[in-house]
Amino acid sequence: MSTSARSEIFARLRDINHQASAERIELDRQALGSAPVPKPPASEICEAFLVNVLKNKGSADCVSNRAEAVAAIGHYIYSHFRSHRLVAGNDPRLAAMPWRDAGVLPRFGRLEVGEPVALSFAQLGVVETGAVMTWTGKSNPAANNLLPEHHIVLVDTTDLVPDMEHAWGRIKQEIDQNGPPRGINFIAGPSSTADIEGQLVYGAHGPRKWHVILMGKVPAEALSRARTIAGV
Amino acid sequence: MEQHSETFLDNASAALKNSAQAERRDVIAAFAPLIRSAAIEGFDEFDNLRKHIKRVRQHSLDHLEYYLGQFEYQAVQNGNHVHFARNSDELNSTVLDICQQHDAKRIAKGKSMVTEETGLNAFLQSAGLEVMETDLGEYIIQQAGETPSHIVAPALHKSADEIRELFQSKHDLGPRELPETVDLVSEARDILREHFLQAEVGIIGANALIAENGYSMLVTNEGNGDLCANLPRVLIVCTTIDRVLPLAQDATAMLRLLVRSATGQAQTCYTSFYSGPRRESDLDGPIETHFVLLDNKRSDILASDYREMLECIRCGACLNHCPIYSSVGGHAYGWVYPGPMGSILTPLLTSLEQSSALPNACTSCGRCAEVCPADIPLPDMLRDLRHEENSQKLSAGRWRLGLKVHAWLARHPKLYHALTGLAISTLHLFGHKRGSFVRLPMAGGWTSQRDFPAPQGKTFMQQHQARLKRIARQQNEH
Amino acid sequence: MNEPDREYSSPPRGKRVALFVTCLADLFRPSVAFASIKLLEQAGCEVSVPLQQTCCGQPAYNSGDYEEAVPLAQQVITMLQDADYVVVPSGSCAGMICHHYPKLLEGVWRERALELAAKTFELTVFLNDIAQIKPSKHKPSHNISSVAYHDGCAGLRELDIHDQPRQLLQKLCGIEVSELQQSEVCCGFGGTFCAKMPEISGKMVDDKLNDVLATGADMLAGGDLGCLLNIAGRARRLGEKIEVRHVAELLYQDLDTPAIGEGD
Repeated sequence: MSTSARSEIFARLRDINHQASAERIELDRQALGSAPVPKPPASEICEAFLVNVLKNKGSADCVSNRAEAVAAIGHYIYSHFRSHRLVAGNDPRLAAMPWRDAGVLPRFGRLEVGEPVALSFAQLGVVETGAVMTWTGKSNPAANNLLPEHHIVLVDTTDLVPDMEHAWGRIKQEIDQNGPPRGINFIAGPSSTADIEGQLVYGAHGPRKWHVILMGKVPAEALSRARTIAGV
Repeated sequence: MEQHSETFLDNASAALKNSAQAERRDVIAAFAPLIRSAAIEGFDEFDNLRKHIKRVRQHSLDHLEYYLGQFEYQAVQNGNHVHFARNSDELNSTVLDICQQHDAKRIAKGKSMVTEETGLNAFLQSAGLEVMETDLGEYIIQQAGETPSHIVAPALHKSADEIRELFQSKHDLGPRELPETVDLVSEARDILREHFLQAEVGIIGANALIAENGYSMLVTNEGNGDLCANLPRVLIVCTTIDRVLPLAQDATAMLRLLVRSATGQAQTCYTSFYSGPRRESDLDGPIETHFVLLDNKRSDILASDYREMLECIRCGACLNHCPIYSSVGGHAYGWVYPGPMGSILTPLLTSLEQSSALPNACTSCGRCAEVCPADIPLPDMLRDLRHEENSQKLSAGRWRLGLKVHAWLARHPKLYHALTGLAISTLHLFGHKRGSFVRLPMAGGWTSQRDFPAPQGKTFMQQHQARLKRIARQQNEH
Repeated sequence: MNEPDREYSSPPRGKRVALFVTCLADLFRPSVAFASIKLLEQAGCEVSVPLQQTCCGQPAYNSGDYEEAVPLAQQVITMLQDADYVVVPSGSCAGMICHHYPKLLEGVWRERALELAAKTFELTVFLNDIAQIKPSKHKPSHNISSVAYHDGCAGLRELDIHDQPRQLLQKLCGIEVSELQQSEVCCGFGGTFCAKMPEISGKMVDDKLNDVLATGADMLAGGDLGCLLNIAGRARRLGEKIEVRHVAELLYQDLDTPAIGEGD
């Protein structure tokens, strides 16, 4: 199969198109520039991000520091599961959080079947889409995004980027420094399906709930304004 | 996939008689355009985005050899095995080889129209593998032994009741009745979760391949494709050679068009980029990853006048806005790709002879081209295919002859006016009382559905010429 | 494709307008052509009707017989080259001239097609946007309670015709159009489509008719006789009492002529 199929396909493509140097082609692509980006739903970046998170049917919370974050996480898991346990990736930023202060009992590693809640610390939050992004690695096993019933994601306000183009800028830094991560996962909502009669149902295969906690300097009232704009 | 496009008219007729399905299609046809227009409302630059992506797609296709080579190089650097397949058989046997090398028995499959095209499931199953479709819609139709009726939502033709009956007959439900849609979804979730955890090989498609970094892009709402890509120990990505884009930002810019046009969202729940096998620091992920890149006539299309069709991003907007698709449903088209895009792709990927009805299933209403995010002139292409049919004499002889006679006559105005004058006067004579005909010779197609309105009397040209003569006479008399 | 230049500076008072009658109006409904002439004259134009006209070539073109369509297109271009303006009481025939002739033809003929396209207008566009017709001094002679409007697809999408007929009905007859729910959906005519795929076309025209009836209007107007013959024919078949007319007849207040498909 492979070699003859490969050479035949490439030979065919060579025949069909005009030839150009790699340099010429790259220059031509550069000349096409970048794509237009939709306007954010609010001028302030945290508020705009929160609007889109809410539109993606996520729930959201805002905290100003790690202690508040731990408390908010503890409150979330207790109110939903009457439990203090969760699973989190081996992210040094998570390991350093004051879990004991809020009585939360994290287990660091990959989620095992049956564990209901996972926490991720996002590498990025994308304002344009209200998505959080993690790349796979020690800090973020893919299973932790996909297998829990509830997925809690912590996003630092300093990690918010306006759009996907900026997201790629950050990812490229990572690729240059540490090599390409195996998976780059943008998550924008709880898992959903409309495959039965077009009716939207959450919890198709992945998490049924997706909770985003924005940590850092978030303007007061940003969340309530975002709720108004998103209509929730 | 087996093709039944030759019998399009019979398929359509049967579909129209299934009133329950027809009603559901009507509901979706009214609903789907609304969610698309709501999604692009306020995105003032949507049309500029469309133009930008068009230029990028044209550029990538103009240099496909370069970008495909670049993608292959990057993907191999990232640790993948990259295979090329000229046709369906080569893709299927490549995938089977990989599965057998790993002694795999269970396959978890994400939604992939390309593997529908090659008939991969049936091929793997005949070799004794258990292949489970994991997209909910695909799972439902797989259980029902059916084919997709829509490229984005493959089971939309089935009612919740039908799906409930299907699960009752296929699953061991015990006393559970699954009364609500959410119960049906949960049931499939439980069954498929088990399968994800046991499968040795995951197979997914790709919405784009990125030349600059060797990543593939996967877009889903359910997350099933990501489970296929992350849980089994082997991952195979099957897609076609035309999906390659130069830059990472091109893929996500295309996404802005794709998702709004397909489901009316700004972004799907899961947008993932995969580069290869598990790295040292990874706690999970496949240990071996493959790309199988299929040509299957894409290079022929690239060399043809239909090249723009390769710019299609498979959003399904043309299906959702086509009055013929919504009248007869996807199955009537008889193959993988229905609606306007399918009526072009099916003849190009199979043969015009086998699918000669499809390019005629179009009123040139232009609604598909209006909403197509790739800005493909679909009605023009459909007409060009009719031109080919006409040149190859694939269309009905009496139609061709009738139109030739009409055109010849129209080139001879005097004769045309005399003959049409005669015919119209006769029709008027027999029809003016009632105002319309219930039956008329040689107009059976028209009168099978509707009356044929009778002409008013003499033709306009007859009356006009008589008036001119009258005026000339009066001027002479003065 | 190059868009023909549709800019204009002065309203065409006293301009010579050639009327392209269209074959359907010529054969089935001369009243549309007569009404068009009167309206154009009311708008101050000098109207001529080129005698060589037959068909714009759409049936052959849409059926993929480009070889037969080319000489017809050339015939039309030659016939209309001297007019200041060409007016067509049909969105689909005007669309054929403005958008499809330049696609169909090559070289010098393509240039000539673009010249023709630049001065060719559908009737309601011409009356409303170019000639800016004023209401006649006579009061509307008929009292029409409610009118639904069918937007032909070619007019709507190739020529952007939507507001013009509605504004004219308002201005000249005081009629507010009752809008269809699915006004952007095709009626199922599609030229030869309706005869080649009658069952599908039948379903589509049924949907359209139901949409029309749901407005409660007692008249349906439109700018394309193909669509109107289709919808009126289906209404007659089902015994629905809706009066179907070309918008030109309505604008000219010619309501004594039996409606499409109605007996004497």
